[in-house]
Amino acid sequence: MKRFVTATFLMIGLFSAFAAYAHHAAAGIDRSKTVTIEGTVKQFKWGNPHSWLDLEVANQKGSVDVWSLEMTSPAFLVPLGWKATTLKAGDKVKAVVQPFKNGDPGGLFISVTLPDGKVMGQRGGAPAAPATPPPASTK
Amino acid sequence: MRIGMRLAAAITVMNVLAATDLSAQFQPAGSLGALAPANLAKPRPKPPFDLTGTWLHGGGANNGFRFSPPEGFKLTPEAQKHYDAAQKAQAEGKVYRDDIGQCWPAGLPVIMTRVWPIAMIQLPTAIYMVSEFMNSFRVVYMDGRPHTDPDIAVPSFNGESIGRWEGDTLVIDTKYFVPDHHWIDSGIPGSDALHIVERMKLTNQGQTLEIEYTLTDPKSWVGDWKMTKRWRRVDDRDIAEVSCLPDLNQHMPTTQSKDNVR
Repeated sequence: MKRFVTATFLMIGLFSAFAAYAHHAAAGIDRSKTVTIEGTVKQFKWGNPHSWLDLEVANQKGSVDVWSLEMTSPAFLVPLGWKATTLKAGDKVKAVVQPFKNGDPGGLFISVTLPDGKVMGQRGGAPAAPATPPPASTK
Repeated sequence: MRIGMRLAAAITVMNVLAATDLSAQFQPAGSLGALAPANLAKPRPKPPFDLTGTWLHGGGANNGFRFSPPEGFKLTPEAQKHYDAAQKAQAEGKVYRDDIGQCWPAGLPVIMTRVWPIAMIQLPTAIYMVSEFMNSFRVVYMDGRPHTDPDIAVPSFNGESIGRWEGDTLVIDTKYFVPDHHWIDSGIPGSDALHIVERMKLTNQGQTLEIEYTLTDPKSWVGDWKMTKRWRRVDDRDIAEVSCLPDLNQHMPTTQSKDNVR
């Protein structure tokens, strides 16, 4: 499976406006860019406080990486049309992700293109708004 | 024979222990629990308002979810070390001691503004609060009991809350907090000396809950910190089971990141 990465720089501050349906801070993520990955769904977890999507993605070494993509809670996903059955193991999908700064596989979920071409995003909670927030003097 | 008697004695002790009341909120022998019908039925003045409902923090100006310290705040030397470390971590693009991300309870006051709704049930003797966020449980005793004797009080993340009515205001006094893994804001620890007073009012025809906070913690900062937060009724919401489970963090890249400063 081909993995390709397109970096898209987003407006800084876009995600800071999201509500914080989160249980933790966003350590290690490069929130200034997105990458697009193609892979096979290993697991789609529908649950609280976060849903997650594990994708098996071919790497350049000829093996497979598992990308864990962190999502918001169903309370935010259902209004956008998500269901517990929207994704299932074995589905071939394309996902847009805010990746790790250090290049490790994984990141924050932005959107996914389903096998039928439909794009499903999320809003109202980049899943990693600060739970233990940054120091007060820099708010 | 001797072994048999020892065994019998041990079993007796175990049975006694098993039968012991394991309640964490100690009351003098013979006192009534908050849910005892005889306690609920005692005559009391009609409360000025009823918090029963589902409440969600947020909205309006000066109502952020953080309990940021006031201008000119002064930390104790011990707390300042944490604060400086948090500043350093942030400058390096890292996150300092995000204990909530490691499934430690948020604790009071942070749990009140976690952007998840809170279900509140008000009875004559107590007000029960359950945040959807990790289903954090809090009870405010209203039946006139005092705080537990400090020699036996069990520290917790939400502390022990005792409430009383002052005119149209509900005043809640909370203390007995855990000494660590409990943060007021990034790099600002709450200690076992933390003391929180909340003055609660309903405004906007009962649709808005306003709480004025006074936070004191002589082990962490100097003086009183005051701030006011607001919640709105969300009558179309119920809370669900939300737990921080071992497999959650395995799939949360951010809580696994090496950019977390532990």
